[in-house]
Amino acid sequence: MDDIIKTIRISSAGMRVQGTRLRVISQNIANADSLPQRPGDSPYRRKLVTFRNELDKSVGAETVRVHRLHKDMSDFGKKYDPSHPAADKDGYVQTPNVNTMIEMMDMREAQRSYEANLNLIRSSKTMLNGVIDVLRSN
Amino acid sequence: MTTTADFNIHHALTAYQRAARQQITGSQAETAPIAKSQEEFGDLVRSAIMEARKIGERSEKMSIAAINDRADITQVVTAVAEAEMTLQTVVNVRDKVLEAYNDIIRMPV
Repeated sequence: MDDIIKTIRISSAGMRVQGTRLRVISQNIANADSLPQRPGDSPYRRKLVTFRNELDKSVGAETVRVHRLHKDMSDFGKKYDPSHPAADKDGYVQTPNVNTMIEMMDMREAQRSYEANLNLIRSSKTMLNGVIDVLRSN
Repeated sequence: MTTTADFNIHHALTAYQRAARQQITGSQAETAPIAKSQEEFGDLVRSAIMEARKIGERSEKMSIAAINDRADITQVVTAVAEAEMTLQTVVNVRDKVLEAYNDIIRMPV
C-alpha cells in the first residue's frame, strides 16, 4: 500500500478515537446535573477514555485505538437541597463529579487533535494530487 | 486490499517515466528492451486497475455500512477519498498510454 494512503488511514483512526472522546465528554456535560433518585444512591459518575496504540495489520503501521472507558473515582460534590427526594437527613444531595470547565478543556483538546489529523489527511491528499499532476502537465 | 501491497503510486510514476523515455529514444534502441518495458508497463497498469477496483469496493462497502449506521463518517470519507485518488491515478495513466499510442499512430513513416 502506498505510504500516503497509509497516512490517511492512520489519521482517520486518530479522528475516530477523538470522536469517541468527544462522545464521552458530551455524555459528561449532558449528565452534569444528573442527581440520584433516592437517598443513598450515587449521582452520575464522570467517565474517562484512554487510548492505546495498535499494529493495524492491513495498514502495517501503528494506529490508535480506544483502550477503555473507565469511571472517574474522585469524590462527588454536595449541594444543600432539602426538598430533593434524594436529600440525606441533613438536607444535602450528592452531585456528579463533573467539572464543566475541565470538560470544556478536554473538548478543546479533542478538537485540536481532530484538526491535526484532518490537516494530515489534507496535506497528504495535496501531495498525492501533486504527484498525479506530474502525469497531466505536458 | 493487502494482496497488492507492493503497488505504490510513486513506483507507478517512475515506471511510467522510464517507459516514456524508452518510447522517445525507441528508434535507435533494440526491440527486446522495448518489448520488456511494454510488458512491465502492462503489468503496472493491470495492478493499478486491480488496486483501484479493490479500493473502490472498499469505499462502496463503507458507504453501505454508514447507511446502515455501522460505520462512522470519518471512515467513509477517507475510504471514498482514497478511492478517488487511486482512480485519478489510473485514469491519468490510461490517458497517458492513449496519448503515447496516438503519437505513434500519427508518426510519419
